Amino acid sequence: MKPLKLLFLLICTVFFFYSCDKDKDNNPEPDNPFDKEGLLINYADAIILPNYNSFKLSLDSLVLSFDVFKTSASLSDFQLVKQKLHVAYLKYQTISLTEFGPAESEIVRMNFNVFPTDTAQIIANIASGTYDLSAASNLDAKGFPALDYLFYGKNSSENSMSNLLSSSTTRKQYVTDILNEMTTKTNAVITTWNTTYRSQFISSLNTDIGSSIGYLVNQLNFELDYLKNAKVGIPLGKKTLNIPLPEKCEAYFGTQSLPYAVATLNIIEDIYLGRSKAGIDGKGFDDYLNHLGASYGSGTLDAAIKNQFSIAKTKLAAISNPISVEVISNPNTVDAAYVELVKLLVLLKTDMPSNLGVIITYQDGDGD
Amino acid sequence: MATNRSFHFLSKPTNIAPLVFFRIAFGLLMFISILRFMLKGWVYSMYVMPKFHFPYYGFEWVQALPESFMYAFFGAMLIACLGITFGFLYRVSAISFFILFTYVELIDKTNYLNHYYFVSLISFLLIFTPANKSFSLDNLLFKRNETTIIPQFYILLIKVQLFLVYLFAGIAKINTDWLFNAQPLKMWLPAFSYYPIIGSYMEHDWVAYLFSWVGCLYDILIGFFLFNKRTVHIAYVFVVIFHAATALFFNIGMFPYIMIVATVIYFKEDFHGKIVSLLKKIVHYSNNNLREGSINYSNGLVYFFVLYFSVQCLLPFRYTLYSGNLFWTEQGYRFSWRVMLMEKAGTAFFYVKDSKSQKESEVDNKQYLTYMQEKMMSTQPDMMVDYAKFLKKEYEQMGYTNVTVRAQVFVTLNGLGTREFIDSSVDLSRESNSVFKNKNWIKQYE
Repeated sequence: MKPLKLLFLLICTVFFFYSCDKDKDNNPEPDNPFDKEGLLINYADAIILPNYNSFKLSLDSLVLSFDVFKTSASLSDFQLVKQKLHVAYLKYQTISLTEFGPAESEIVRMNFNVFPTDTAQIIANIASGTYDLSAASNLDAKGFPALDYLFYGKNSSENSMSNLLSSSTTRKQYVTDILNEMTTKTNAVITTWNTTYRSQFISSLNTDIGSSIGYLVNQLNFELDYLKNAKVGIPLGKKTLNIPLPEKCEAYFGTQSLPYAVATLNIIEDIYLGRSKAGIDGKGFDDYLNHLGASYGSGTLDAAIKNQFSIAKTKLAAISNPISVEVISNPNTVDAAYVELVKLLVLLKTDMPSNLGVIITYQDGDGD
Repeated sequence: MATNRSFHFLSKPTNIAPLVFFRIAFGLLMFISILRFMLKGWVYSMYVMPKFHFPYYGFEWVQALPESFMYAFFGAMLIACLGITFGFLYRVSAISFFILFTYVELIDKTNYLNHYYFVSLISFLLIFTPANKSFSLDNLLFKRNETTIIPQFYILLIKVQLFLVYLFAGIAKINTDWLFNAQPLKMWLPAFSYYPIIGSYMEHDWVAYLFSWVGCLYDILIGFFLFNKRTVHIAYVFVVIFHAATALFFNIGMFPYIMIVATVIYFKEDFHGKIVSLLKKIVHYSNNNLREGSINYSNGLVYFFVLYFSVQCLLPFRYTLYSGNLFWTEQGYRFSWRVMLMEKAGTAFFYVKDSKSQKESEVDNKQYLTYMQEKMMSTQPDMMVDYAKFLKKEYEQMGYTNVTVRAQVFVTLNGLGTREFIDSSVDLSRESNSVFKNKNWIKQYE
């Protein structure tokens, strides 16, 4: 029994050491574990579901306005359709990062917002009148970017776009088909959330692959990466020796790239803070990090992240709309925002998961 | 002569049963491991999908082969595992398994695990042992004599190997972060607060300290207690508890089970004797040609293994030849049984400069690397050099001229907050990846 005694002695030594070792952490010991269920309930009920419902209303409203225009063919109705498209596209930004569970099965991101859209493919589809929107080859010929093109066109007047649309049955049908697909998918996602997925989502309390927290952290970063690269960096020429590519911007034809980028950054911040659609700050990753006592430099990690959000938002808002014009006439302003988005990405992609113990891989770790 | 005395000690006659038991258990466990690996789709995601692999220094000639070959190799490994288990064409099976397994391991540094290194070493040792001299198909098929007694040298090989794994894993844990900051466990354990009963303790710092210290002491001491016949049973209870606990908390696959089974080799010989006899009964194995006395081994083999274990004892200390903090630079980090020692994560931005236009493009890592490759590369300097060299080729093919590649990398180690990891002005594509050179472009770790 000698080894047992020895081990016991050693454990006692540990406690002795520990009691002597003044804890350097400036955070008090938590009395109870962080309420992860509360965190997830807040995400589901205050952010995700309200945003889905709000998006659905805007999409339905767009569909209605297009139905009106199809019969009236009036310019004022066409203007209304474009307004409704803008509202729906803006609200879409708030659900884009919920790409897990039902949205992942429906592959919402790839079906709703692949840009730049393939204008030649759209024209070919309409001309032939036979197309399968669900085919992989049409991913970049549908969704919001395709509507953006069909309502605004390349350097075309509002009048000519309106006439082009009202005078062509196949063109109207194409828009209707795109809207139908989006409506079907949106309804499917919301129904699944309301019936089965919400309870599954809030009861997944671990942090590995396939857990709700794992999904949220991953998608938050995916969306931020998407903002940094697709919405800002690529148009700015970050991947092409600084040769700007304005046509790679989101909503290139309707020239609403900046508000959509701002909306994207806002929803990322909402998720981080646990800030509800109504603007009320609930349980979020910020509270979780503070609860765990995550530090950064001499302060808290949360303070560093909040500060970086604020800088990035300011720099992004300093860009004039649209980004497609700014990358040519004001590249330094766009670049300044890009630099801050990169810093934010490092904090959210590296520091945050590291402190939360989120495992983002299926492979075995190094064991012992 | 001293050597004679020790050689005499090595030739002490011992029952072959522990070795037979080990052969069967290891073969079966490897069969399960390889099968699991295939079923999880890892052959594809690690060896087929990647456009590019991170080679080991000196093993750049080890290349992945086309998909069908990779699957064939894994299939051959399964057969070799069964060959080891049943003692069928044993030596060929052991050699094949060792070569195939090690080959696959050497393809890409991304997938390095101490556990795989361990499997390579054990399968290497098994090649030299007479583990098929009893209760084997080889004996039946080739009408060989049944050996019952072997020199303990062969069993010691495996015992010493296991002992070193534990000892060095323990020594590696003797560092300030592990012992006095309870890092990285302090960061890892709170994630398990959802566990019933114990979950509520997971956020308490004292639990992280307790786990750290117990883990360190366990690793250092367990080998000694296993080696001692009087304490082996109680030590084994600790082995099971310890590895079961790590299996519960960490995503480490087969490793805990392999250790739980492998350490049975330390039990008294009659224990294995009983098991092997029982197995013989079950399968109606009988071989009436008994071999008289023990088998021989050459002194050359002893010298070789003295050298082999000496190298293993030295490797973990090679980091002292490099400058900088070991965990930060990871120079001399692998092949040293350093497991679970740090929570390290990074983000790396690579920039390729075209000398003609003097302009830079930022690289989209996802275009060239799998998620796992990017994750591993983002904290390991030697992989950054490999990647930079690859990018240089890739971009020059795209029409860029005389390319330079630099990277801005941000790394966090044990929760200290991300900071710049390397000198972002250095052209990584021209840096050497030699293990004999210090990477002086890694920033100082404060």
